[in-house]
This record gives sequence, structure tokens and C-alpha cells, in this order.
Amino acid sequence: MNNKRRKRQPFGLYCLMLFLFLLPTGTVVAQVHDGISVSGQVTDTQGEPLTGAVVKVKGQPTSAVTDVDGKYVLRNIANTATLEFSYVGMIKVEISVEGRTAIDVIMESSLVLEEIVVVGYGTVRKSDLTGSVVSVKPEAIRNVPSNSVERLLQGRAAGLQVINSSQDPGAGATIRIRGGSSLRGSNAPLVVVDGFPLGDAGDLKQINPADIVSLEILKDASASAIYGSRGANGVILITTKKAGKGTTTVQIKQQTTISEFSSALSLWRDPVLMAQLNNEGRINSGFEPLYVGKTNSAGVYYPSVEELQSTWTTNTRWDDIVFRDIPALNNTTISVSSATDRTVFNLSGNYYTDNGMYIEDSYSKLGLNVNVEHEVFKNFKVRVSEVLYKGNRNANGGLAYWRNPIYPVYNADGTYFLSSNNDFSHPIALTEHQTNKTAMFDNLTSVALEWQVLPELKLTSQLNYKYGKSTQDVYQPDKYSEGGTFAPKGRAVIDNWEGQNLVSETYGNFHKLFADRHDVNIMLGYSYEYYTSRGSALVAKEFVNEALGNENMASGNPEKNEVSNGFTESQLVSGISRFNYTFDNKYLFTFTARADGSSKFGKNNQWALFPSGAVSWKIHEEAFIKGLNIFDEFKVRFSYGISGNQGISAYQTLSRYGTEKYYNDGNWVTTIGPGYVSGWTGPGWIYRVWSGIPNPDLKWETTAQADLGVDLAFFNRRLNITFDYYDKQTSDLLRERNLALSSGYDKMWVNDGEIQNRGIELTVSGTIVSTNDWDVSGSLIFSQNRNKVIDLGNTLESGLITDQRTGMLFEYSGNSLEQYRSYTNILAIGQPVNVFYGYKTGGIIQTLQEGLDAGLTGDYAQAGEYKYLDLNGDTVVDENDMTVIGDPNPDFMASLALNVRWKNFDAGIFLNAVVGNDVVNTQAFSQPGNQPFRWTPDNPTNDYPRLRENRQTMFSDWWIEDGSFLRIQELNIGYTFNLPKEKVFLSAIRLYANASNLYTFTKFSGYDPEVSLLGIYSGGYPRLRKWTFGIDITF
Amino acid sequence: MLAGILFLCSCNLDEYPYGFYSEENFYKTATDAEAAVNYAYGALNFIEYSRTIFFIGDMPSELITTKSDATVDNQDLNTWKVANFKTNATLEHFFKYAFVGINRANAVIKNIPNCDFDQSLKDQFLGEAYFLRAWNYFNLARNFGLVPMHYSVVETLEQTSSPLAADMDEIWNLIFSDCRMAASLLPVYPQPRIGRADKVAAQSLLAKAYLYTASAKAHNVPLYGNMTLSAAQMYDSAAYYAGTVITGQNVYGFENNLLDIYDVANPRGREKIFLMSMDRSGASEGEYSKISKMFIPYISGSTIYLKQGDANTYIPSHDGYAEYRTEIAFYNSFDAADKRKTHLIADKVFSNSSGTTISAQYPGSLPYPFCRKYIDPQFVGDKTSTRPFLIRFSDVALVYAEAAGPTAEAYALVNYIRNRAGLGDMMPGLGIDAFRDAVYNERTFEMAFEGDRMYDIRRWNRINEIQEVIDEGLTEAQYTFYPIPQAEVNLNGSLR
Repeated sequence: MNNKRRKRQPFGLYCLMLFLFLLPTGTVVAQVHDGISVSGQVTDTQGEPLTGAVVKVKGQPTSAVTDVDGKYVLRNIANTATLEFSYVGMIKVEISVEGRTAIDVIMESSLVLEEIVVVGYGTVRKSDLTGSVVSVKPEAIRNVPSNSVERLLQGRAAGLQVINSSQDPGAGATIRIRGGSSLRGSNAPLVVVDGFPLGDAGDLKQINPADIVSLEILKDASASAIYGSRGANGVILITTKKAGKGTTTVQIKQQTTISEFSSALSLWRDPVLMAQLNNEGRINSGFEPLYVGKTNSAGVYYPSVEELQSTWTTNTRWDDIVFRDIPALNNTTISVSSATDRTVFNLSGNYYTDNGMYIEDSYSKLGLNVNVEHEVFKNFKVRVSEVLYKGNRNANGGLAYWRNPIYPVYNADGTYFLSSNNDFSHPIALTEHQTNKTAMFDNLTSVALEWQVLPELKLTSQLNYKYGKSTQDVYQPDKYSEGGTFAPKGRAVIDNWEGQNLVSETYGNFHKLFADRHDVNIMLGYSYEYYTSRGSALVAKEFVNEALGNENMASGNPEKNEVSNGFTESQLVSGISRFNYTFDNKYLFTFTARADGSSKFGKNNQWALFPSGAVSWKIHEEAFIKGLNIFDEFKVRFSYGISGNQGISAYQTLSRYGTEKYYNDGNWVTTIGPGYVSGWTGPGWIYRVWSGIPNPDLKWETTAQADLGVDLAFFNRRLNITFDYYDKQTSDLLRERNLALSSGYDKMWVNDGEIQNRGIELTVSGTIVSTNDWDVSGSLIFSQNRNKVIDLGNTLESGLITDQRTGMLFEYSGNSLEQYRSYTNILAIGQPVNVFYGYKTGGIIQTLQEGLDAGLTGDYAQAGEYKYLDLNGDTVVDENDMTVIGDPNPDFMASLALNVRWKNFDAGIFLNAVVGNDVVNTQAFSQPGNQPFRWTPDNPTNDYPRLRENRQTMFSDWWIEDGSFLRIQELNIGYTFNLPKEKVFLSAIRLYANASNLYTFTKFSGYDPEVSLLGIYSGGYPRLRKWTFGIDITF
Repeated sequence: MLAGILFLCSCNLDEYPYGFYSEENFYKTATDAEAAVNYAYGALNFIEYSRTIFFIGDMPSELITTKSDATVDNQDLNTWKVANFKTNATLEHFFKYAFVGINRANAVIKNIPNCDFDQSLKDQFLGEAYFLRAWNYFNLARNFGLVPMHYSVVETLEQTSSPLAADMDEIWNLIFSDCRMAASLLPVYPQPRIGRADKVAAQSLLAKAYLYTASAKAHNVPLYGNMTLSAAQMYDSAAYYAGTVITGQNVYGFENNLLDIYDVANPRGREKIFLMSMDRSGASEGEYSKISKMFIPYISGSTIYLKQGDANTYIPSHDGYAEYRTEIAFYNSFDAADKRKTHLIADKVFSNSSGTTISAQYPGSLPYPFCRKYIDPQFVGDKTSTRPFLIRFSDVALVYAEAAGPTAEAYALVNYIRNRAGLGDMMPGLGIDAFRDAVYNERTFEMAFEGDRMYDIRRWNRINEIQEVIDEGLTEAQYTFYPIPQAEVNLNGSLR
């Protein structure tokens, strides 16, 4: 055991102690006055009574809360006292009693004027923001159930890109803020829930979207640099329902969703056509045709085309077998909240089940969220929150709905019909014999202390702990699954993982207005984070009897057992500071600095400083603009700052030894020494890649970002416009560098390379009509990002390839696609990230001579083949003719939301568009719907090649399509019953219906163009149209 | 708050490895040290290295050729198509893995002196590491001439680039001194340890190294002329150390019977001074050996049987890949009575253990008579325990003879080898040059298919007699050494 490792253990304890030091030691002395009683009613501007508004005597502990009628009574107060009225979402009101005994108050909503925005380690009035921060109203996204809130954010904020490429139950989303800025590290924003930094955004399954009250997206450096080495990808701050002030409220929210495909499946419905085309493809390849009424070598009888036309009866509709009849999703949330004068309590439970399209493919979760806030002393609050999440995933996706319709499901004897010994796509066999289940459990605990030491000074200390665990059970059966057959005789896996994350943060906020014009706000604090992850896996193979699946791993062949385990730990220690200064409510300055010390960084770069600065000018406060009477808000902002991306996984900075076996004097011994095998390379992947040199200089990736923004409001704030321009430069990209052969190593991690992201973001939102009966509002969001690879390091050290025609330097990225036996994406200096690189085509070759003249040879030159172009004019088509043929990055994204209310009816429509991205449609020729249009001597088309089974297709622009789309993403209608109070125990009921993905306008020929960032479409199933019916009941 | 800030400066952010070994948690005990030494030996077994021993030790000569569908890189080596040698993957791998071995040996040399365990064990482990470093540089120097010199383990980015040896003295002096260190630190074990080098191995390597430089200088191989020591001095040293091996110990010696030399079942045979340690119980190639399959042609995929010399017994074997194919001219150049042809090159294979049916023979359905030095009759599928020789006693005996010249002892050793092969004595009374030439000739047959032939040709400066070299019209600059691989030139900052 290593002594050094033990030494650090007490540190967490210190943090806990420090946290406890913050408990105040003073006592509060009760004060008694002789005085008058004051009573009255608190209502909103509509005249509706406000229940649970707090009425407080300024400077005194005395307070009251309004009842269901909005009434309050305060006894025994000084007749010179000042009363403070507060209510969540309303502007605070102060009124001097001046001897009166009845005071009625009308409170105005603060949502229009004084919106409070959560920023890292504090809040700020929206009008005082200097950075680029977007707030997303959760109301807008409540009509659709989702496992994680991120999926719902698509199109809801400028500069935020959400890609929901997977529609499987429980699937996460890919999230980018202002484009990707890392090649090897994570590009996902940091997600922070109630002050607890949880990690990468994309799969926040622990938090029920119904529990969220506000959602802020920090985009520029002034906003995100406070998160230092993890702020480079932006930050999403989520605040959950904490203290719903009021009397006891019980809410039930029920949502049921039914899914269907939004476009038809492309399948062979006519086996005759399928057989004819298959025969044609095989004959063109020089193979014996299959559908000739013969039994093939695997013992399967393939009828002739004539037989299919006349006597053949089997025409299995595999999609009917593979997909559920009614794929339903259920989401139930029950919450109880209650507030007394010193304790606020909120409890919410959630049960969510998502049955996927495929039979037996499902996900379910149970969630529980409790939080309690208690005022221990007048100036001292304790807040405890606890989130429990329990999820279960039964994965049974990817079943072969495209299976050959002439195959029956079963043989005559009741066994599964398999087309060969290696037929691993029988959907029923796999459903019944294969296991792939994952059970997940997460627990998030937070304890926060808030001490208002002085009116100007507040200390906050928060201790967060997350425990997560998952267990995966896998069994791959013999005969029906590839893994199980070649194991051989079944392969069983148990995979265990657990992770823990402890975050302790303490910070103080000092806020004072000096001389009425100098508003100073200072935040100082520190943060400590300790993370561990531990996994182990057991693999057993070769079972004599498969009945137990993975239940008895010991019954496999012991010689084939595999065990593995791993553990990582990392620490992050930070000092945090922010300084806000506002002069005369006109000129605003913000400076932040965070110092991060991370154990993941190399010894020589363990500490990093991430500073940012911002200035803002509220021009509308200037007399010369006020006089114009046009602008309610006219604010310009500029910010610049540096944030980082830790990108590296733990232990990359250490030397690492390998272990091997050596036959030493008659026995096998384990050998250990410098250099370990970090990967395999070469044809057949038989050659080792050696790594293990420590890099003590390894450090974070650095993103420097400048942002220029304008906020405008007109017509009494009924029209709001926000515009931002940003320029993000990310340097010191983490890359692997090639090493000299004589070093005995192949690669090591270095900081090298640069990427640029630049863009504009525009949000226009307005209230078009607002009367007693009518509300019409809308918002338009537009964002455009341009990214470019600036530098990838030295050509030789990075192993860059040179494009022979243009001299462009590049390397391949993403994965090699088997269909083309090549990579499709590259990172090229001067190009956007991940552009497509391949051949250009000029239609289809019509005659052999045309093919030969085009510089093609052999099979490639035949009539009916793709006409690859000889770009460099050397009369030969070879890899020197490859070029950039497409860009998967969109030109712009836009969305439009319109909401209408008429009396108690409400309706909304949400349109989302992504424009100008290219998508590789790998199914462009293999879809049954396209094959009849093939080239034949009688149909000399230029659109499709001839059918041929043995073609080695090269990656070309033939496969690239415009992935632009405009989607009617949400359309909803609702009705709210206004129930007479006091007569019924119900206080509100809302009924609504929502349609998601109602229709998509696109030229893309596959099912749906919304694919992963690399822009590769690989089939799957059509986008789901989801019909949701919901009811919200409040007691 | 203040306490918090103080913490920031005082906390320990160092990482400690978990689940893998690192300089932090290794080299604590003798067991660690031995694991590290064995790691250095293991570098010899990777297929990138072990297969290449034959691809560059035998194939470029006129002993063996390769099959027509072999990789282009290996075809090029066979036919001396030098144009692409700089990017030849086989050469690149051999070059790289020699340095992988050197780095592993250097790690032992650096770390063991600081360990706390028995001095005699430390001496042994250090001696083995010096031996392995010498062995790898010996291979590099013979094939590539001047190469980057790594005297210590690579631990930083800066250390990954190292300049070429200034001259032949620099690289060979390291080999000589490492061998001397190894010889002084290592014992002779009463029973040889399979897969581990001892004092005799170090002395043998030193003798081979001196003979190499002596003959290379004597035959005017480029660069060797500038070596400080004279050819005569180096011949003397070679003879001295080879003589020490022959007379200074009694663990190793001649096997009486030719076939016994190659008996896989007896890895501690008297001839086996240093070998690649592999065993059929290993999991991947390198742990087990497939060398036999490289020499044997494909026959039918089923077990074949080979006659054991003159005895009426037949041993089983798998058939093979036909990568290393005996050149017929070489086969025909053996004396008809030479048992090294009749017993060690198979021209018939039988289909059963009683030898009643011949399943293939040359000429006929057997494409070529094949070397059967590496047959393991207890093979399991592709796996064998064949442990190819890196140094064997007869080699050292011939080193002695060539270095010492026509002395009585030298004649006795050469004649023993000839008699064992069923041949008469060498012509007596030869002059020193004629005698050395005769020994050179004897080595051709004795050491055939053992990854050694090309080095005799190289040090005798006779590459220009190889037919392919003549056909290609190569110049001395093109054939004397393999070029430093382009990848090395690109990535080693000291070479640019």
C-alpha cells in the first residue's frame, strides 16, 4: 500500500470542518414593542389575492404570511414601522405604516421588470448582467415528457445546439454551446444543479424536468470563466423548486405519450421485386443468382421469381413483429410543498416509464426529490436536499425489421428459422434469449448553510455528495448472437460501476451601495472537489447449459474467464472571486477570477488562473436616450476572458508501465516495465502502440473568448431584442504526438493545436397582444456558428497527411465506415471541423469508353458505375483526387415559438430549423425504395448506379445530401379550469395535448436528417411523432 | 475564508497511480527487479522482432526466398529493392523493437542500483540488462550501422530524440563494454536457465562482436576502417573470449548428434547458450512460437510426419505458411553426404507415424525442401515451444576458429562440426586467409536458417556477390547498411 495516498485522506475532513466553522455563534435577542395592529389584503394586478405573500416589519423579526384570501394581520408593531411585502415573482413593496391600521397592497410581477438570474455562486438582476446569459423558461418545455431536461432545450436558446439523434428509451442528447472547441476532450457544457457541479450535460436523468424552476445558460467567458478549467464549453445552471412559499400545496402531473413513426418504413413489401433486383445484382457481380428455386449451401430454399409470383406464400411483415403496437410513455409527478414562517418544505416523486418502439425495449425510473429549508436563526438558514434516482434499462433495440420477408419466423418444428449458421439477426430469437439489462442508482445530497453575517455580507457554505452506481447484466446466447457463438457457446457479462463526487464550496458575498451611486458586489470563495470512479467486470464463456444466462458465471469454462477492474480518482481545488461594480446604474463592470488546481494536470502546470472581465453600458439610463422615449432598454456589453477544458482523463501525466508474460526457466511469470500497449495499429491491428512517457507539462485546453452584445427593449418592454457576436479561440488542444522509433515509444499526450469558433446570436421576443381575454406572444431565435481548425501541430509529429492537390494538411477523425472501408471525416487546417473528405462524382458512367476516358480502370470503369472524377487531371483516379466534399456543420439554426391564450384556452406552436449542414446518407442506395431506380442498359439514369453486390464503393459526394430541415416540433393546446375557491378542495386543473415532431420539411431522402455531429446517417428508424396528453391538478 | 485560502496553497494535488505500475510504485523488491529484467527479455519475442530475425538474417542472402504473395515489404528485402527500404515496415519494426528492448534494459540499469536487496541478485539482474542492451545494439549496428544512442532510459519528451553514434567506435565500444560488464557480473549456472542469459552468453556475444568488427575492418566494410582497434587486435579479443567459452566452463559444449541440437523437448541442451524463450502454453504469438510454420510449406492442413535422420522413427508436425522457402541452388550446394542437408532439410513428408506413405516429396508435390530445425512434435495447433537460437555453442566454436586462424585447436573444433555432419576433416595446412575462408564456408552450412548468414556476408563485405544485388545494380552506399527508417528521421529532432 502506498503511504503517500493515505496522507491526503484528512483533507475532505478539513473541508467538512471548515464548513462547520461557519455555524454562527451569536444569538438573536427577541425584541418587543408596544404598538398597533395592521391588517389588509395583498393582490396581484388582476385583483387576484396572493396566498403566501410575506409581510415583514423592516428591521424587525416580526412577520406574517397572507392566507388563501391574501389577507394578513400584524399585531403589536410600531406605528412608525415600515412594512415589506414580498412574494416570489413579484416586485418587493415597502410601505410606511404612518399610523394606518389597514393597508392593502397590489403587487406587480417582477418577471417583466426585475428578473433575477442565477449566475455561478450568486444571482444578479437580469438588467445588471454584463455577460451573455440566456434564461430558459421551464413553462415552455413542460408539455413533453423527457428523461432528461436537455433534450427539451432544442431550439430554446440562441447559441445552444441540442442534437437528439437517438430516440431509444432513456437516450441522452448531444449538447454544444457555441460550437465544439476540443478534439479529444469533452465538448459538453458543465451542468450545475443548485450549486452542485455534476459534470457533462446531455443526460441529466436524476432531475425531473417538472422540478426545475429556472434554467440559465452561461455562454461567454465573463459568465462561464467562474467555472475555470471546466467552463470552456459553457455552463448550464439549473435551479430546482425549493421554497414554494404558501400554504400546503399538492400537485399531480400526469402525462401519457403515444409514439408513432412520422414517415413510412422503407421495406420490401413485394418479394418478387426484391428477388428480381437481388438476382440482377448477383448476376452483375458474376455470382450465381439466389432466387432460382434452389437450396443454397446453408440449406435454405430460395424460390424462383416465378414461384414467388405464383405459389409462394411466406411474406413475413417483420416490422409488425419487431415493433410494438402501442409504444407508450408514462410520466407521473406528485409533489407536496409547504411553508411555515421558518420552514419551507418540498417533496416530489416521479415515476417515468418509456416503452421504446422495439418489443421489450424499455426504460423506467423512479425519482424522489426532497428539500427542506429552515431558518435556525433570523439570519441563519439551513437547506438540505436529497435526490434519489433509480433507473432500469432493458435494451432490446436494433432488431431486424428489415429482415428478408420470405423468411418465416419459425421452422415447421417450432424452432427459429435461421438463414445460415451465422444468422445473428433473428429478432425473436434475440429477444427471447439475449439479455442486456442495466440497473442504475444515483443519490445526490446537498447541505447548505446561509449566514447573513451583516446586512451587506452573506456567507454560504454548501457540501454536496453524489453517489452513483450501475450494474449491467449481459448474456449473449450461442447460435443466435455473434458474441455468444464465437465465445463460443454463450458469453455472459456482469459489469459493475460506482462513482462518488464530493464538492465542498464556501463563499461570501458582500454587497453595498455607497453614496447611492457606487454599487459594489464582491464574491470570494473556495471550492474543493474529489471524484472517484471504480469499475469491475466479469466475463464468462462457453456454457454447457445456457439456461441460467449470466446468473451463474462459475458454470462457464473457467479457462475462458476474464476479469478486469479499474479505478480513477481526481481532485480539483479552486479559489473563486468576482467583483461587480456599477456606477450610477449606468456603467457596469464585472471581473472574475478562478484559480484551479487539478490533480489531472501535470506536475509543472498544476495551477491555472482563469480571469475574465466585462463592461456594460445601460445607454437607456442616459438622459439623451431617455428623452427619445423609444428604448426601455438599450444596453451594450463587452466581455473577454479565459476558461479551460480539463479534457484529459486522470493519470495521463504519470509514467505508466506495462505488464506482459515471459516464459522464465520453465514457468510463466508476469513481467513489468516502462511502456504499455495503449492501442493497436496496422493491417489487421496486429502491431502494438506503445505509450507511457509521463508529461509533467500536460495542462488544460485554453479557450479565450470575446463577446459583444446588445440588449434592446421597446414598447414598454413588449419587444425585446438580444444580439451577440462572439469569437472563441481554443488553443493548447490535447493531442497525441508521434515519437521517434528509437525512443521505444509511439505516442504521448501533448498540448498542441488550435480551433476557432465565431458566431452571431439573435433573439427577438415580444408580447404582441395582451388583454384580459387575449395574450399573444412569440419569440424568434437565430444562431450561426462558424468553426475552423487553425492548427494541428507539426506535420511530422502529428502525422498529418497532405492533400496532394491543394497542400491542405489534415488527419482523419471519427470512425472508419465499413461500407466505404475508409474514414469519412477529417480535421483539416483552414476547414471547419469534421468536413467530409472523398471523391467527387459526375453521375453514372454510361459506356465503358466514358469510364476509361474518365481515368477509371477495371470494374470502376464499367457502364453503370459511379463516375469518380479525376480532379488533378493526371488521367488516373486515385487518392490524390480526393477532396473536401461536404461540411456537417450547419450554416445556421433558427426557431420560432408562438403562444396564444384566449380566456382559459391556450395554444402554442414551436418550429425548429437547422440549415445548411451536409449529411452522409449511407442508405442512399440500399433502401428498398431506391433500388428500382437503378441504372440498367434500358434505364441509363445518372442518378443511381447499377446493382452489383461485389462493388467496393469509394466514399464520394454521391452519398452527401443536404441535411437542412424545418420541423413543426411542438403543437399544443390546453384548457385551464378556474375553480371557485373554498367550495372545492381542488384549486386548479389544466388539461392539455401536445404533438411533437408533427411534420418535418426536408429534402433529405433518409428517415430523418437529425444525426450526430459527424453527420453520418445510418438508417435506424423514422423520427417518432409523439402524442402527449397531460393533466395537472393542484390541490 | 482565510483558512480556505490557506488550504488552496497547502493541498496535495499529486496523482498516485491505481491499477497500473509506474515509477512511483515499482522497483521496490527483488521480485520487481526480476519482473523488469524479464520485461526486457520479452521485447525479443514480439512478432515485429522475432519473425524479422529471419527476414533480414537469412532472406536477403541466397539461402531462402519467400512466397509470391508475401507482403511487398518482405519481397523487397528478398530481392533487394532498396527504393522503399526507408519506409519498409519490417525494417521499421525491427529497428523500433531493438530500441524497445534497449529502453527496457536501460530502465533496469538505472533503477536496480537504488534498490535494497541482495547484492548478488542485483549483480545478476544488472548483468542481464547490460547483456540485453549489448545484444540489441549488436543487431542495430550490424543492420543499420550508426544509430541513435540511448545510454539511459527515456523518461521525458526531450529524451525521445537522441543523436546518431558519431562513429563505429561509439556504438561498438558500448557493445564491448556492456558485454564485459555482463560477463563480470553474471555467473555460470550449473544448470542453464531457459530464457535467461549468463556469463557464457555474455562472453559469446563479446566474441561474436569482436569477430564482427575484426572481419569487417579486415574486409574494408565502410565505416569500420576508422575504428581505433586494429583488425588483428579485435581478432585476438574474439579468439580470447571464444576460447574462454570453449575451455572456461563445462555446462555448454557440442551435442554429439546433429538432431539433438534442435530437440525442442530439451531446452537446456548443451549447445543452447541463448535463445528466445517461448512455450506452446502461451496465449498469443510471441508467448508461443510459430517459427516452424514459417519454414514449412502448406501441405494439406493435416498433421505431417518427418523421418528422424537415419532412425526409423517419425515425428509429427503441423504444416505451414511457406514464408521462408529454401532456395534450390543453396540446397544443391550441400555436399551430398552432409547430414545438415539429409537430416535437417526435409524433402519428404509422411502421412503417418510409421512412415509407410509419403504424402509429398521434393521434387514433386512438395514445393521446396524445407528446413526442419524448428519442428516441435508436441505442437498444439499452431502453437509450438520452438525456441529459436540466438547464440549456440557451435557458432562460438566457429567464431574461435575464424578468429584464431589455422591452429590445432581451431582445426579440431571445425573438424568436430564437420564429422558430426558426416563429412571428413577440413583440408589441413591452410594459410590463415584460406582457413578463414574455409570456416566462412563451413558457417554457411552449419548456421543455415538460423538468422545468421547475412551477417557473415556483411562482415566479409560480400553483399555485392548476391545475385539480386548484382541484378539491381546497387552501389556500396545502397547495400552496406539498411537506411535509418524515414519515420525515425522525421520524428527524431536530433537527425534533422
